[in-house]
Amino acid sequence: MGLLSVLIFLPLVFGILILAMPKSLNAWFKYISLAVSLVQLAIASYMYYHFKTGDAFAGVNQLSQYQWLENLNWIRLDVGQFGVLQIDYLLGVDGFSIGLIWLSALVMLVATLSSWEIKTNLKGYFALFLLLNTAIVGVFCALDLFLFYIFYELMLLPLYFLIGMWGGVRREYASIKFFLYTLFGSVFMLLVIAGLYLSVIDPVTGNHTFNMVYAMNPANYIDGSIFNSLSNAEIFGFPARTVGFIVVFIAFAIKVPVFPFHTWLPDAHVEAPTPISLILAGILLKVGGYGIIRIAYGIFPEAAMSLSFWMGLLGVISIIYGAMAALAQRDLKRLVAYSSVSHMGFVLLGIASLTSEGLNGAMMQMISHGFLSVMLFFIVGVIYTRVHDRDIYNFRGLANKMPVFTGFVMIAFFASLGLPGFSAFIAEAFTLIGAFSSQTLNGLLPRWMAMFGTLGILLGAGYLLWTLQRMFFGKFRVKKEEWKLALTDVNAREIMVLVPLAAMALVLGIMPSIAFNVMSSSVNQFLLMFK
Amino acid sequence: MDSVFTNYQILCFALTAITAPFLAFVFSLIFKKLAGAFGIVSITVSLVFSAILFFSIWQKQTFHFSFSWIKLGNVSVNIGILLNDLSVIMLLLVSFVALLVHIYSVEYIRKEALRYRYFAYLSLFCFAMLCVVIADNLFILYAFWELVGFASYLLIGFWFTKKKAVQANKKAFIMNRVGDVGFLIGLMILLSQFHTLDIETIFGAKGIIHSSFIHNGNWVSPFASIPDYWLTIAGFCFLLGACAKSAQFPLHSWLPDAMQGPTAVSSLIHAATMVAAGVFLLLRVSPLFNDVVLTTMASIGLLTAFMAATIALTQNDIKKVLAFSTISQLGFMVLAVGVKDNAAAIFHLSTHAFFKCLLFLAAGMVIHQLHHVKDDTKTKFDEQDMRNMGGLARFMPITTVVFIIAALSLSGLPFTSGYLSKDAILISVFEWASERGGVYWLFPVVISITSWLTTFYIFRVIFKTFFGDFKLPALINKKEKELHLHDPNLWMKIPTIILAVFCFGFFFALNPFSLEGSWLHHAFNLEPHAGGLLHLFVPIYINALSLVLIASAYFIYAKNKIVFTNHKSWYYQFSYHQWYFNVLYDKKLVGLILWKAKITFWFDKHIIDGIVHLSAKAILVLAEIVDWVDTHIVDAFVNGLANIVSSWSVWFKSVQNGKLQHYFIWMLFIFLSFIIYKVII
Repeated sequence: MGLLSVLIFLPLVFGILILAMPKSLNAWFKYISLAVSLVQLAIASYMYYHFKTGDAFAGVNQLSQYQWLENLNWIRLDVGQFGVLQIDYLLGVDGFSIGLIWLSALVMLVATLSSWEIKTNLKGYFALFLLLNTAIVGVFCALDLFLFYIFYELMLLPLYFLIGMWGGVRREYASIKFFLYTLFGSVFMLLVIAGLYLSVIDPVTGNHTFNMVYAMNPANYIDGSIFNSLSNAEIFGFPARTVGFIVVFIAFAIKVPVFPFHTWLPDAHVEAPTPISLILAGILLKVGGYGIIRIAYGIFPEAAMSLSFWMGLLGVISIIYGAMAALAQRDLKRLVAYSSVSHMGFVLLGIASLTSEGLNGAMMQMISHGFLSVMLFFIVGVIYTRVHDRDIYNFRGLANKMPVFTGFVMIAFFASLGLPGFSAFIAEAFTLIGAFSSQTLNGLLPRWMAMFGTLGILLGAGYLLWTLQRMFFGKFRVKKEEWKLALTDVNAREIMVLVPLAAMALVLGIMPSIAFNVMSSSVNQFLLMFK
Repeated sequence: MDSVFTNYQILCFALTAITAPFLAFVFSLIFKKLAGAFGIVSITVSLVFSAILFFSIWQKQTFHFSFSWIKLGNVSVNIGILLNDLSVIMLLLVSFVALLVHIYSVEYIRKEALRYRYFAYLSLFCFAMLCVVIADNLFILYAFWELVGFASYLLIGFWFTKKKAVQANKKAFIMNRVGDVGFLIGLMILLSQFHTLDIETIFGAKGIIHSSFIHNGNWVSPFASIPDYWLTIAGFCFLLGACAKSAQFPLHSWLPDAMQGPTAVSSLIHAATMVAAGVFLLLRVSPLFNDVVLTTMASIGLLTAFMAATIALTQNDIKKVLAFSTISQLGFMVLAVGVKDNAAAIFHLSTHAFFKCLLFLAAGMVIHQLHHVKDDTKTKFDEQDMRNMGGLARFMPITTVVFIIAALSLSGLPFTSGYLSKDAILISVFEWASERGGVYWLFPVVISITSWLTTFYIFRVIFKTFFGDFKLPALINKKEKELHLHDPNLWMKIPTIILAVFCFGFFFALNPFSLEGSWLHHAFNLEPHAGGLLHLFVPIYINALSLVLIASAYFIYAKNKIVFTNHKSWYYQFSYHQWYFNVLYDKKLVGLILWKAKITFWFDKHIIDGIVHLSAKAILVLAEIVDWVDTHIVDAFVNGLANIVSSWSVWFKSVQNGKLQHYFIWMLFIFLSFIIYKVII
């Protein structure tokens, strides 16, 4: 039993325990959940601290270079002339996943603390919550496509219920839209996974395999198989590997979300209860980015390269489109949701540039956005739990009444709009630098893309500062008289949530090497696949 | 390297100078009562170490220290400290002016409940500004450049309940962001071309920019070769960045609005230091600019200087006049960089810092005292409106004197610092125009007119504020004696007196008529001016007319001998409404963007999401169709079959009714059928 397995299944065990406990122990559930998150964060921190860096531990397409590797034969089924069906329980961590695992642990902790506001059916809530936790960590650790897919789909189930049962007014609509939209993408991905299985051979056992690391090595493909790059197989008249890439890309693009696959996001975010919004924004979106890097780009590198222009274009459109839509919002939560679309656009732009700066910047942006979007959604939650309203025009001059809260809001807003000293600045600057130098280095993206991308930074300042002005400055005035009493400043628990997030954004902004150190050798190894 | 100090000591001094304000920022937020003290002590520390650095670096050596901050495989970003002549003069200037403003602020902000925030923000600003000045790397320069803007945002919005203030700080930040976008793109171009952003490596005396060249329509550097228009674009990008920070056309309109902040802040940030950062940036990257960019820069500087001066003529708010005056003077500096006289730009930047800071502080004293009157008498009037003032010289003699000294310096009259620095710019512009001829003669003509306008508008302020009749008592129905107007106390007076001393030319040149004798100008001016005749001629004709204008301003505004009746005319309105830029930007441009945002959201909601809903609906319709087919065709077939079987079975059942006769008839029928069938076939 390795460390990763403990990390993944610890929440599941306690989730089952909660199910078995009687309802009279209701009050204990959140503390159990909190303890699980704390232990997870401790394990993740331990792993991050002991994570070995350098070219010998790059990972990516070298299975032996992954750390905390766990490999168990899970399913071995003799299927006659097709050989042996081989599914492995294969877990491992490299520079692309370690940061996201730590991020997940932190976000889950914050989401648990934020779950204090949940008042109904606590047993079901925390059981599902812990199940979701297992699925999320599992996604980032799994190196077997089949296992990955199981965790990936397993995330949907608890989310569906968590949004659909504890959400806002239009929760049923939002949850079913979210569920079907994501499922739509992933079902087709399953076909590609099956195709890969039929094409890839485990060089050790000689069986077909779901191992995604082996799938990154062209030598492991069977001659003439559908996804062998030399066999020139076609699907509907298009090269099979290009189709495979597009299908996998769309599956993850829905998660990111990339324009035009983003419309589930505002609805899901707005209707989800605050802790689930935090998880959606903080981690779920990163699963998309992670999948694009690890699976779409990692397994189909040459298809990805030939489509880089379009990837970059979608990134730029997402950046500007998301920011413009955010500018038009009255609902604070919807505004934050659209800002996520804009910020995640940088991730795609950075990936598409296929430069060291761009990819490191994209990874950094994912981690940075993890902290900041969680902070933003939590801020919305603070207001919403007090007065059950989020309309920007119903509030003014909150700084008079809630000075400490306004301080945090300003940190979150300025960090999000890319103020130097915070992580988003480093991340956005690096993705843009990467995108700009792409033309000289590898000729993939034209320079104007980076130049248009900078508009996102400008518009970001626009919608965030405008909101700050409208809601927090000026003379105190709210829509209803009784809100004046309800709008109290943040309490100790809320400060406990906001401080670590702000601190992480600041630490990564001043010492970005903390994150870059663990990922840069993996990024370099990754880029070698595109030479 | 004949310095008294070792490199290690210099590094420690520089780090102390920048860290002190940062610590003050942190401690001011924790120990709120002591915020003012922290601010003053820290900036004094900065000043002392800046002075030490100045005397060990100035004209002696260049100090450069850097370490690796981010390392990504083959890409590495270093950060560090670059101290050369430009850095140390700015270091000294910023910390000196900042110290005076800190002292002044103690009294100015005394009655504010949240004054600890004020001092904290001010310290943050000093930290960021000092870092901008000594940053050795454009990336880190950019970072602190934005941080300076952030501190400015906080200070403009210090009175956050004032609606105008919070609109102004948003506007300032966003307009600066426009410039930042330019700066960032410029960075990207340089990085991809030179693979480093180190200022000394790129722009230093042996920098790589000197070994890059244009060849066959390509801009070739030792690392890369890109089409040559990128050189021009890079220049324009940095120019855009500088235009936003230094409030140049077309990004100037945030600065007048920024006057909503406390006056001491306007004085330090929006007159003396931060707005000069744009010019500072231009100086740092000046080897990059090609002729196209330089000519554009000169034109922008000229246009801004002229435009702002014409607007300043008609404003009634004393701070607005000074704000436009700042914009105009920054235009002079940008023009100087544009005509490649960096020395004059630096020189004017330094002298301007003193006299413009002083003008604001003196105006602040007037506003501060009138505010007291407002509080004491419990009346309502605009304490910044010059139409409520007049004759204040009788009550506030020291304020009047320092204001006049600063105004003389701004006008560039003899014996003042402005005389030296402004004439340096004018002479360069004349020389530049005479080299080029033709339409370029417009530059010296317009800049001379601007120079006269400057004299006129600043003396208009003096005569409207300090001379003539005191209009306030009549306005609020009080007697003059009831108002208790007087000079403020020493906290405010001493900084202004010190600044007034520095407005004289002696500090910059032993012979106050000789530009060549100025140590500051001389240090940066590698090739002395050629035209000896211009040195004599330009100051004389500028100053002669200036004196006439001062006299006429006296008759118009102090004595009311001449009364203008053109307030309705288009040119008066054009000037008074600040060339209608606010209407264009705030209403039209912002409106357009918000409209586009709404369109985007509509598109998102109805088209993109509409497609999602449509496909969901399409699937539902398909399901209905399948259901119909299933019930009416597939199932109907099955049911029909069953029906047939069951109806047949009923019929067959009736055959077996147990009656022998029936069976016999059936047998006969079948037998006959069989026979007939056989016979026919």
